[in-house]
Amino acid sequence: MDFLDEQYIENVPTPGAGNVVSSAGLKPPVARSGHSSGSAQLSRSSSFQWGLGNNVSSQPTTSVNMDQTICQISATPTSLTPVVTPSVTPAVTPDVVTSSPSIYRAVLLESRMNDAAENEAQANSRVLDKDDALMESMSQSIYSNVDSGRRIFPFVSVDIPTVFINKKPLTTEDLDLRCWDKNFFILTSAGKPIYSMHGKDEQIISFMGILHTVVNYFQLENSTDIRMIESGEQKFIFLDRSPIILVAYSTRGETSNELISQLDFLHSYLLSSLSQRQVSRIFDKRENFDLRNFLESTDFENLDEICSLISEKFYPDVLLGSLQCLTLNRSYRSQLHECMLQNLMRESDLPRGTLLYGLIVAPNSKLCSVLRPRGHTLHTTDLHLLFCLIFHQFQNLNENQELWVPICFPKFNSNGFLYCYIKFLSSPNYKISSKSRPVLVLISAQKDAFYQLKLLGDKLTSSITSNGLLDKIFQAQPVRIGDIQAPLVHHFLYKSKKHVQYVMPQLQFADRESDSVQAEEYEKKLMTYYQQIHNSVFSDGGIPFNKSIINFFNWESSLGPFEEPNNIGLIQGEKTQMLGLAWITPGFELYLISNNGVNDKRILLKSAKKIISWCRKNEGKIFVNEGATF
Amino acid sequence: MFQFKLVLLGDSSVGKSSIVHRFVKDSFDDFRESTIGAAFLSQTIKIRDTSSDSTEDTVIKFEIWDTAGQERYKSLAPMYYRNANAALVVYDITQQDSLSKAQNWVNELKNKVGDEDLIICLLGNKLDLCDSSDNGDKRAVMTDEAKVYAEEQDLLFYEVSAKTGQGVKDVFQSIGEKLYQIKKEEMLSKKGRQAASAKDSVNVKLQRPSTNDPTSCCY
Repeated sequence: MDFLDEQYIENVPTPGAGNVVSSAGLKPPVARSGHSSGSAQLSRSSSFQWGLGNNVSSQPTTSVNMDQTICQISATPTSLTPVVTPSVTPAVTPDVVTSSPSIYRAVLLESRMNDAAENEAQANSRVLDKDDALMESMSQSIYSNVDSGRRIFPFVSVDIPTVFINKKPLTTEDLDLRCWDKNFFILTSAGKPIYSMHGKDEQIISFMGILHTVVNYFQLENSTDIRMIESGEQKFIFLDRSPIILVAYSTRGETSNELISQLDFLHSYLLSSLSQRQVSRIFDKRENFDLRNFLESTDFENLDEICSLISEKFYPDVLLGSLQCLTLNRSYRSQLHECMLQNLMRESDLPRGTLLYGLIVAPNSKLCSVLRPRGHTLHTTDLHLLFCLIFHQFQNLNENQELWVPICFPKFNSNGFLYCYIKFLSSPNYKISSKSRPVLVLISAQKDAFYQLKLLGDKLTSSITSNGLLDKIFQAQPVRIGDIQAPLVHHFLYKSKKHVQYVMPQLQFADRESDSVQAEEYEKKLMTYYQQIHNSVFSDGGIPFNKSIINFFNWESSLGPFEEPNNIGLIQGEKTQMLGLAWITPGFELYLISNNGVNDKRILLKSAKKIISWCRKNEGKIFVNEGATF
Repeated sequence: MFQFKLVLLGDSSVGKSSIVHRFVKDSFDDFRESTIGAAFLSQTIKIRDTSSDSTEDTVIKFEIWDTAGQERYKSLAPMYYRNANAALVVYDITQQDSLSKAQNWVNELKNKVGDEDLIICLLGNKLDLCDSSDNGDKRAVMTDEAKVYAEEQDLLFYEVSAKTGQGVKDVFQSIGEKLYQIKKEEMLSKKGRQAASAKDSVNVKLQRPSTNDPTSCCY
């Protein structure tokens, strides 16, 4: 692996490495030598370590030992500049909610050493000095997801402050791969590039070669698959789906499991377009086939879209592994299901089995109703893929246009294609662009069933138009945080495990759509908060630490003599005190974020209970339960 | 009212969807996503019957299949051109390669459809890029070249621009008239029950699969 050294590896000693507890089994010992490939902020991140792994164990924990996780997130504070330091102590209340959860503290530090040119050694000592003091007083772990040097100061909304620094290259010219804090790579098992989220071709090709070598090295030497390379906050996750290899790079602190599900989503997209059978056939014939020749421009557009969705937007669907539904009165929804069923039954000409599934999907990928054979459900990943396609690819449609699209649903059957009849619904009472119109999808396994499904679709459309149900879909209002009497709560995600669906209040920026930059910042910020809350109760491998957990998560800013308030984009003098809550039981998962300035856990817990009981009470309204089965 | 099925075929990004969009909406988008699968839409036109004394316009409804040009959807094509009354085979006059793809489509249609009445129209798109007064003439396929081929194969032939709209309406108009003529002759020959049969002959649901095979479904 000579070429590795030359370009990507700087032989920086990692003094703290001994303290870094790697997630068991996931990180092969050799991995550290290749840890730094292509990462941002290489030398800086490796130049000093806080070695806080030891401190964590001194923190009293209750029934769950979170040492590993803590060590992972707290392993390597990279930068010399603002340091966000949430520290986590889990509180586990087995089933009983009333026991008081132990307290989480997080300290948001700032150092003024944002000058990239500053002497590193000096910087290290200063930060460390300060940190020692902090350690003593709080005996907490510290980690940073903050980068130094060139960074954009994030916009601070009045609602919740940003405690995460957005790392985005300032210029778009001559970008090094290391500029990006997150990247996805897809290559063939023969090492040929298929896709990368960022980076130019000439950068990618050599880099993919390195990834390919790393993967092969582990397969040949240890006859095992490499899963992860971790160095400080930099993380490479590998997913080998021969003949396709997917790699995620991130410094954002996601768990391995989350990155793997993102990679799986990308892989699922490729299969939805090609099908496993086709992929196998191509590579059985020629192992070194260049799959890019087979993919179409639409595939690359869709991959871009999905990558941006899962890494730049607020898209909790993959994190939660569930989907969102349109909020619709229970009675309207059951009328809708009844209506779909009746239309199907009336269609006596339609041979049984022509229709597999029928869906009505509201804008923003919200499921509205389902028509399905008894005992069959569609996998959420398949639906996510379908919704992505509908709401991102089919936007410039003529109003009266109907589509007939072959899609492979990889979790349903990765070897075959299903055919989707897709029709954007319009109501004479609502003149709305196709982007915000509901969609009717009828799915069949037969490629020539279009006219039969169109007939069914036309009848179904006219009956839901005439009985006013379509207008009800157009009128449906999203849940607002004000609908629930839950004081101090800024936003929440509630997932019902039974339904594999989640509900959340409308994002606050929806009222001020004009500012897309602000909206983007807000989405990303919110997503990061939720990721951290989520990660505090799930292990790196995606398993919850306990069946039932209540866990508070605190972000706090303390302004000391070293700090410059403006460095992390806070308004001068504004203090950050954010409280998050994760609550997991066998039946549901609740994640919530408080307003800024909240530190009363009892009130937040009360609010959480209110949200839960509201969600339970309104299940029929916010979730699709059985759907119409035939 | 007469109803005719029309299918657009051709290499990807020659402008099939833009032609349809121009015909149906009379507008043009500079950025149009590639078609995935196929899109089905309908549009009516009026034609005047010149041979008869009637002054009333006849309404013709086109049911249009706008197919994806991408290679991978090729196996679906027969479903769209089977039972079609007319096929628009589109190429890009700035791309020589797209003409040979179009010729492949013509051959496939002639071999597989075998319907004498199928009207095939060869359509060169992106005429706006070939303004000779401008320096940036990007024409790669000479009009004569395509025209000679079209005559050999007995195809209708036009060059159009979906962007400016030049010629697009005329194509559909003349196809409509031609289909109407064929249909009228057919009707005259079956004079006795013309009304009913004419209606049936265009509206019958031909796409019903020959065998309703319940084993192909999933439950």
